[in-house]
Amino acid sequence: MFFNRRGSKKYAYITARVRGMKSKLIQREVFPKMMNMDLAEITRFIGESEYKQDVDELAQKYSGIDLVEHALNQNLARTYRKLLRISQDEPNYLITEYLRHWDIWNIKTILRGKYYGAPPEEVQEAVVAAGQLGYRQLISIAGMESIDDIKVAFENTPYHSAISDYQGGMLSTVENNLDKLYYSRLLSSVGKSKGEMLSLKFIRTEIDLKNLKTLFRTKNADLPRDEIMELLIPGGAELKDGDLRRLVSLSWQDFIKSMEDYSYWSALSEVISEDMPSLMGMEAELDKYAMKYSSEVSHYYPLSILPIFDYIIRKNNEINNLRTIARGKESALSDDIIKKHLVM
Amino acid sequence: MLEVAGTIEPSSIELLKDVAVENNRGLVAIGAGLAVGLAGIGSGIAEKDIGAAAVGAFAEREELFGKGLIMTVIPETIVIFGLVVAILLLFL
Repeated sequence: MFFNRRGSKKYAYITARVRGMKSKLIQREVFPKMMNMDLAEITRFIGESEYKQDVDELAQKYSGIDLVEHALNQNLARTYRKLLRISQDEPNYLITEYLRHWDIWNIKTILRGKYYGAPPEEVQEAVVAAGQLGYRQLISIAGMESIDDIKVAFENTPYHSAISDYQGGMLSTVENNLDKLYYSRLLSSVGKSKGEMLSLKFIRTEIDLKNLKTLFRTKNADLPRDEIMELLIPGGAELKDGDLRRLVSLSWQDFIKSMEDYSYWSALSEVISEDMPSLMGMEAELDKYAMKYSSEVSHYYPLSILPIFDYIIRKNNEINNLRTIARGKESALSDDIIKKHLVM
Repeated sequence: MLEVAGTIEPSSIELLKDVAVENNRGLVAIGAGLAVGLAGIGSGIAEKDIGAAAVGAFAEREELFGKGLIMTVIPETIVIFGLVVAILLLFL
């Protein structure tokens, strides 16, 4: 009753603490105010908030946009590692699996860096050690010259099977393998009890949203049917295998129309049309939908993993918003364009 | 068949009465013990999660210490009910 294969379910402490952490996130009203600041003011603002330690630590090494970028990345990694530190047993197990997303992200970054011949220093600066792979490990892998060395470095990790066949060249297959590996591990990590069924639905919805983004991008680029099917991740909540096959074979116009059949239409109805100029609005709306959904389900089962997943998504979103504003200000983009990229 | 072997002495009856009274007292004591003990276990189970949540909350926000403490001791009232029942049993 109280124990299962992953240890006991101690959610009271971690969920209350995560709610405390969530209350310290930057409120949505603050982002429009930040639009009126220049880069130095933004740096000072985040240096006086939860990011103080990171800004102070990195201020000697970096300045300007690099300082903001690195402080945000370091804070994200530190926050996620804190979640792992303060949790135990089942919550710890599930958070570990969920945060493998960042390992996947780092492996992709490293391989992309090698593919485009980026200098190791640039790749090393782009990694975010928020998953299971430590910062030092990632830095040493990013410094490796050949793809074979990188494959050897990942030999004892779960990711080896996804990258072992890679021989250089286009990365889409290996990136796709990594995504599929991540979601199949995540789906199998969640149990089958009532509270966990909702966690399972949450992950399945996340897969749906990811597949929708892929579908929009690939259909818009008019990719061949087989290639699109390869890029989609199985296991979605609403978009089952049959739905995916049907959607892939539709023309762009019919594809847009058939979106009305799914609950995601409520989020997409205002931003998609047959002659939509860009996909930016669609992606932002789907991100907003993901946040709204995670916030809703976290209230259904307060003593479950869902409030923690909700926090992980919100923290990442806050970092993305801050980065968007800082980068936008540095590139002297207009407020309207920056605002369109914000997910609030 | 209903005949009892020999007659019972009046003193033996008194003795049996005393034993019965003592037995009852013992049962009352067990009842009082159960009232406090079970109520204590119940509130302990309730306080376990509330206490853990309260510690989690004020680990992040120290100002929640007072509220957390109050929330944690609310199930304590159940033990007081148990205690009242035990006192009623023992002294009334």
